[in-house]
Amino acid sequence: MAPPSLRGVLPVGLVLGLALLVLAAASLLVGVGDVGAPDILLASRVPRTLALVLAGAGMAVAGVIMQLVAQNRFVEPSTAGTAESATLGMLLVTLLAPDAPVMVKMLAATASALAGTILFLRVLRAMPLRDRLTVPLVGIMLGGVVGSASTFIAYRTDMLQFLGTWQAGDFSTVLRGRYELLWLAAILTLVAYGLADRITIAGLGRDAAINLGLDHRRTVAGAVAIVATITAVTIATVGAIPFLGLVVPNLVAMAAGDNLRRSLPLVAASGAGLLLLCDVLGRVVRYPYEIPVGTVMGVVGSALFLVLLLRRDSRHA
Amino acid sequence: MPSLKTTRRHLMALLLAMLCAAPATAEIVVQHTRGQTTLPATPKKIVVFDLAALDTLDALGVPVFGVAAGAKPPSLAQYNAPRYRPMGTLWEPDYEAINAAEPDLVVVGGRSGPRYEALAKMAPTIDLSSDPADPLGSELRNIRSLARLFGKEAEAEARIGRIQVGIASIHARAPQAGTALFVLSTGGRLSAFGPGSRFGLIHGALGFRPAATELGAGIHGQPIAFEFIARTDPDWLFVLDRDAAIGVRGQPARQLLDNELVRQTSAWRKGQVVSVDAASWYLAAGGLRALQTTVDQIAAALDGRR
Repeated sequence: MAPPSLRGVLPVGLVLGLALLVLAAASLLVGVGDVGAPDILLASRVPRTLALVLAGAGMAVAGVIMQLVAQNRFVEPSTAGTAESATLGMLLVTLLAPDAPVMVKMLAATASALAGTILFLRVLRAMPLRDRLTVPLVGIMLGGVVGSASTFIAYRTDMLQFLGTWQAGDFSTVLRGRYELLWLAAILTLVAYGLADRITIAGLGRDAAINLGLDHRRTVAGAVAIVATITAVTIATVGAIPFLGLVVPNLVAMAAGDNLRRSLPLVAASGAGLLLLCDVLGRVVRYPYEIPVGTVMGVVGSALFLVLLLRRDSRHA
Repeated sequence: MPSLKTTRRHLMALLLAMLCAAPATAEIVVQHTRGQTTLPATPKKIVVFDLAALDTLDALGVPVFGVAAGAKPPSLAQYNAPRYRPMGTLWEPDYEAINAAEPDLVVVGGRSGPRYEALAKMAPTIDLSSDPADPLGSELRNIRSLARLFGKEAEAEARIGRIQVGIASIHARAPQAGTALFVLSTGGRLSAFGPGSRFGLIHGALGFRPAATELGAGIHGQPIAFEFIARTDPDWLFVLDRDAAIGVRGQPARQLLDNELVRQTSAWRKGQVVSVDAASWYLAAGGLRALQTTVDQIAAALDGRR
């Protein structure tokens, strides 16, 4: 007999787990090289599959945390200025210290993502009216301002194609030894799981959370730090992945509700599964060439997003 | 498609020219990608928006007045000096500056080709973009056009002759040298280019057999993974490091390719991974000196001289 907190989640979890296994197997089997060659499997396929699982789970979890903290269903790193700020950080550190190790670049991107996200939350707090569409719109506008600054700097310094590689997620050059930074995203996902109950309560709003005895400020700060770091790590290693953090948490919430302790494993698994699916599609559509996963996710994710928008009743806003 | 208005203006200009035809000096007609431009005399004040043309003019010793700012091949680095008026960039000419300079000739091509219409309204302009259907042929034609314009035909022909001898010698040997794959790296990602593409010279005029036959002729190549290189297993891997070409310090192409999958290929094992001279292939491709550098480098690679 499952504990009460897991009731209703188990069947969904089982289906998801099975789907994830199938997709991971597909990701291991699909590609240009000969999968029978041990090098191809161990040096290329396995790392790529792992990277997809880690990045997918991380970005979906970052999305669900952002949604709770901003108390809005349509917020995620790419609609809160987080992703654009991380990219700006990457650009600046690449210009100022091109030879810096990737860890340093990632830290710069994290700091920048953190600043952008905090700015977004500050702006939200100052807004008198916060209905469900103005919040993401403000985030998108903020991201647009930061993004245009990046574009201007990149244009002036001949870095536009670099900018493109961070803006469009792509796993085509993932190999053994070149993706391990993403394990950091996995660790942070686990940390988020540990904080799940607190983040859920923080999602009830500041006053409610304080009444329940939660240190609201610290919880939000921790949650935002997790989101910024996961986003920065992902952008530094494989590039931005749009829509994932938006679509997956909403679909999971429909099936399993808003208790993060219950839904977070499902969000992580669905995020990994959806990203695997999109990347395998990108490898197959123009075989033997690749379509970057960011592009595929843009198509699939925006379609899912429209479905969500049209099917939602206002009760969930 | 010129608008009716410009056609009319051209006709008027032509009529005027015919009416007051008092040819103190012989007019010069230059054939180029977009037709022909008539110049009253040998131009003295030249503004260049194409690195291939700048490379050619520099090689022939023709002084220029202004150039586009931006990355230059090392051999043309002196043109970044302040005494050459910066005239905007290849993509964004500074129309004010050009208009004020009143040049006798503006040369566009390739990246700046789309600005032809706007510039032609200000000064006599020629477009020396290469023809994707016949890159080498059109590049040599452009070199000859410039040479003729400045009376440097003899020198240009001598140099073109050397280039053609080099190309013929490579073309005679390359087909027996195994298959080749041309890849470009930028920002840690890879694209492959095949026959008929922007870097199709390697398979076309130079005659290397393509390791991958399906690559289309897209300007930006096809995005690939390392598995593609392992699978096509070329005997020759030609690598263009775009970041190095434009002076951005990204991940060097060498480092990017030095991995388990590429090390298995025949090209890596035989030491036939050639980092092509980025300035000649990417920045000033088709210029008189760039072509010679390209020929020298590929010939050296075929001879096993690195």
